[in-house]
Amino acid sequence: MAISSARESLSHALNNRFLPNLEYLLQGSILDSAVEHLMHRLKGLCDNVDTSPETFHDLEVCMSLRQPNTNQPLMLRVRRALGRDAPFQMRYLGQPEVDQRRPTLVRSCMDCACTNGILDFLTEMGFRLEFEYIAKGYMFRKGRMKITVSKLIKIVPGKQDMANEPISQSYIVELSVVAPTGQENVGEEMRVFAEQLKPLVQLEKIDYKRLGNIP
Amino acid sequence: MQREEKHFEITLDAVLQRLVDLKLSVLAMIQKLEMEYMDINWPTFLDNFALISSHLTGLTKILAKEQCPPLRNRTVLPLLVSMDRDEALINLTEGRVPVFSHDIVPDYLRTRPDPVTEQKMQQNEQKASNLTNDAAMKQVTQYNKVVSHVLDMVSKAREEWEIESNSRTGIQQTSSMADTQLLVAAVGMGKGLQFKANYGPGPGMMVPPSIRGPTPPMGGPSMSPGNVQQLGKAPSAVKTNIKSANQVHPFSR
Repeated sequence: MAISSARESLSHALNNRFLPNLEYLLQGSILDSAVEHLMHRLKGLCDNVDTSPETFHDLEVCMSLRQPNTNQPLMLRVRRALGRDAPFQMRYLGQPEVDQRRPTLVRSCMDCACTNGILDFLTEMGFRLEFEYIAKGYMFRKGRMKITVSKLIKIVPGKQDMANEPISQSYIVELSVVAPTGQENVGEEMRVFAEQLKPLVQLEKIDYKRLGNIP
Repeated sequence: MQREEKHFEITLDAVLQRLVDLKLSVLAMIQKLEMEYMDINWPTFLDNFALISSHLTGLTKILAKEQCPPLRNRTVLPLLVSMDRDEALINLTEGRVPVFSHDIVPDYLRTRPDPVTEQKMQQNEQKASNLTNDAAMKQVTQYNKVVSHVLDMVSKAREEWEIESNSRTGIQQTSSMADTQLLVAAVGMGKGLQFKANYGPGPGMMVPPSIRGPTPPMGGPSMSPGNVQQLGKAPSAVKTNIKSANQVHPFSR
């Protein structure tokens, strides 16, 4: 079947279920003092032994667009690598679903690579900045699972980069897979892996929408 | 006391019943082997085995049960041992044991240890009797020395192990729930990252100053439309290259 346009190819991918549009996610944190220990364990468990740990240092900007008729603003995240020349990443994340029957949190997810004009473009469209932070850390991979261990750094207005302060004394640990719909065994795979990181890190499905109410 | 006796009898009855069952099934098996060896097939043969093993399991269950009075605390004593034929005994044992004599007692009443054990005992006793007093003393002191050495090693290992486990409980706190929630909320909703103060009423304040001004290398120019021209050449060369390439590119627009 010949595909003529991008729109057609997108719908083709969706219909045939090979467009990865669901993110399975488990989250946890590790104290600064124990992060070395966790890194050692991840090095042992993960695939990219020879090159690991892969580092990253990204700035993530979350932009929102207030839509008429709905309370929920449309949120888009734009990530760009600091200190390395790479395309910007734009990501849409849907509402997290915490289903008792599934071992992980599931949310719809769309990724797309962009040029550096994306923020201008979004601003022109009426998006406004919701929040931003710097994530600096390490990335591991095991099969199709991605494990990131990152420090979140708050950007303090009016100061130099060095003055930006970490949000907490812990690293956030995320285990995620982006897969097409209908691949339920992914969750099980992740649960088994998360089990191997205990008791260092408790990776759990955390509904952050609910956390918002806790002061 | 009486209750105990009664209990004991009940148990004995149960054990006896099981033993009779077991005997019957063994008999049936032997009979089958002798009479039907021509046309017996595996499944029925194995069924017979299963039957026997289930009887055995039942028997062990009864003996292992807590209600069972400790049978091993009781002693069986031969009250009368004689070389004469005993008709009652022959009847009772279905013709298997005609005489209750000195020969039979140790085996049937288990008053004798296993042959292997017996042999070992004998050997050891012989060795011991051959030793002189001096040599024996020497060996005892040597043995004590070895034992105390082993004890030392064990207690040392235990000490080390305890220290290690203690320190491990100290390390165990490797993650904190509060931090997890804080970080997840920050990533998910930007909790604690928003700067409300910077939200001006006008559309010009969409990107706060932190991106625009003081941190130019991190993304100021590319992210705020207003400042691209002013800061122009300041950011990294690569990016300007991309821009200029875009402008030069003949097919881009």
